[in-house]
Amino acid sequence: MKKADFFRVLEKTLRDNHVNDIEDILSEYEDHFRFKLADGYSEEEIAAKLGDPKTLAKQFDSLIPVTEKSKSNKVIIGVGFVFADIFMAMLFILLYSWVLILAALALSSASIGICFISNINIYNLIPVMPYGCALIFSIFMLSLAVLSAVGTIYCLLYVNQLLRAYLRFHKNVFAATSGKPVYPSLAKYPQLNNKNRRRLRSVALISLTFFALSFIVGYIVCALSAGAIEFWHIWNWFI
Amino acid sequence: MFNSNQRTLLLKREAKYLNTQYKKGVLELCVLSMLYQRDCYGYDVSEYIAKRIDISDGTVYPILRKLKSDGLVTTYLSEESGGPPRKYYRITELGKSQYLSEKSEWLGFIKTVEELLEGDK
Repeated sequence: MKKADFFRVLEKTLRDNHVNDIEDILSEYEDHFRFKLADGYSEEEIAAKLGDPKTLAKQFDSLIPVTEKSKSNKVIIGVGFVFADIFMAMLFILLYSWVLILAALALSSASIGICFISNINIYNLIPVMPYGCALIFSIFMLSLAVLSAVGTIYCLLYVNQLLRAYLRFHKNVFAATSGKPVYPSLAKYPQLNNKNRRRLRSVALISLTFFALSFIVGYIVCALSAGAIEFWHIWNWFI
Repeated sequence: MFNSNQRTLLLKREAKYLNTQYKKGVLELCVLSMLYQRDCYGYDVSEYIAKRIDISDGTVYPILRKLKSDGLVTTYLSEESGGPPRKYYRITELGKSQYLSEKSEWLGFIKTVEELLEGDK
């Protein structure tokens, strides 16, 4: 008997006997075939060892009626999830826009840094200062860009994981009410492997150090070259 | 009412029915004992049992399903890297207590049978 014949007879007999969750039963036998085929058995051998599909199908208990209670439970859970989903959707929109803002911060500080280095001053948006100071501030802006890029990546991973965990929870609740097997619930924070975690952390730490150092050094150099603590008044930045 | 041929046929059928019912009960106990040790997927159980007891490979699946509908085991899915998720069976607390009581019942029963059989010497 070929695999297809086996399943045809099995499914037909199960249907005739009004067994519920037939797909569940069939998938169990599908798995059996898959494992055995991988071990190098032929379809005929596997089917023969499984036994007569008609006899097997008869061993499954007939329809267990879906009780009214579980039906109404499903409705209640469904309605509950409609409300929960609205709130969660808003929350996720908020979280994703936060990620976007961080990404925009990374991009804009990178471009300001590049403007500093290449001495480009579009529409005189960048205040006047000696090129030496501009170089130090370019390090400041670039390290801020790297720092916020790391933040963007981490937040994105975090929100993605949170979304996945929520969807898994959603699915599991419905599966559980109809007595189907559930998946293990997912962690709520990103699962980075150790190498990537270390990498992200060291990049963040290095850029944070550069960020702080270049800010202090930049301030000192500016104050020295302008000859005043409040050097921005000397260079007329805010007029 | 019946002629002797029909009677033997009926008796044979009865014996066969009892035999399968009996086997089923024992098989349930074996499956529970396996799940008592660890969580397994269906194919695992089928292989383990079919290697030791002379039954067709497919018989285990109806038993697993019955155990599940009786609330003695539950199922959960586990994600395997590469390949579809596998359905695992786990014994419940109810299943554990039922297994332990049935196990001691069975052990007591076979001890009695052994004593009875040894009486023929």
